[in-house]
Amino acid sequence: MRAVPVSGDVHDLSPEQFYEEVHSFEFWFQAVEGYLSGLTWGHRPQTADPTLPAADRERLITILCNYCVGETAALDGASGLVAIAPNRLAKVFLSTQVVDEGRHLEVFFHRLRELGVADPEAEVERRASRSLLLFRRRLLELVGSKDWEAAIFAQNVILESLEFAVFHSHAEGADPVTAEILRNVIKDERRHIGFGENELGRRLANAPHIRARLGQTKRELDHLVLDALADTARLIGLPSGEDERLSRMYLGSVERLGFVL
Amino acid sequence: MTDPLETGEVVADATPRQRFILEDTGFDEVPAKYRRFYRKWRGAGDALAPNEVICPVCKVVIRSTRELRPGDRVYCMPCMSRLVVVRTADGTLEAHVSY
Repeated sequence: MRAVPVSGDVHDLSPEQFYEEVHSFEFWFQAVEGYLSGLTWGHRPQTADPTLPAADRERLITILCNYCVGETAALDGASGLVAIAPNRLAKVFLSTQVVDEGRHLEVFFHRLRELGVADPEAEVERRASRSLLLFRRRLLELVGSKDWEAAIFAQNVILESLEFAVFHSHAEGADPVTAEILRNVIKDERRHIGFGENELGRRLANAPHIRARLGQTKRELDHLVLDALADTARLIGLPSGEDERLSRMYLGSVERLGFVL
Repeated sequence: MTDPLETGEVVADATPRQRFILEDTGFDEVPAKYRRFYRKWRGAGDALAPNEVICPVCKVVIRSTRELRPGDRVYCMPCMSRLVVVRTADGTLEAHVSY
């Protein structure tokens, strides 16, 4: 079992020790155990689940259907990225992400069933946002073409940042069960966005020429993401101006990587 | 960004650093042995101690056993980022991602 440094401060680990530690199944298992232990389908069994007014239920079903589209894209994307990851640590990390994404998809599907949706698969197909479906198709094309940088940018920076921003906002006003599911999913998303931003940050520092290609990917996908964001903000019922705050949250990581609007 | 600890950048302030005993605040997103190094930002009304900075990637509060100063390296385990502490124009400490 690995330990914190002799000094007792985790920040005294060398960068190599740090990455070996956090990009491991050992770390992942102990991290998720902290917040998933004792949950059933992503929430505590005793959490109150009051019946929602019909219109709210309808909106929530549409939102959850689109979360399922996003999580399916992330699951398919992460699975494909394992095969083209450039090193062992990235492969191991992405394999933990695959498990996370599969769990997210499962809990969102189960939430749809709890809301009375008899056939979630058909409902997801019926209510899926066109923008998200196009995003998913393009993401899988990037993975299929073995373009590691563009695919990790699309998936772990753009898609994960979008989900992180939306889930945060939604959890603030959602019913107790949905809010709890979202807060636990967000805990996984922290790892995913961090991996994407750090992986690309290192690559951009060592090979600046890839910036132009990633800029092109961003321009291609931005409008799909921002359309999906606006749709979801409307369904969540965010007040006017709040969708701009969501957009800023989403754009924070791409800006840190040096991509501006 | 280059790791200041790798380049040997010298931190100017030579006064002894305050030391802190960290206690678990209930942060549950990292293995138990690392939990005391992180806490949730409690929003308006919350304030950072001299041994704390916010992770710009995932917004978790990162804590150290010693007072932080510009040039220090810190790690955000919840989002797996390596960061360096900088002083901003208004005199506060901030963490920047060190790729």
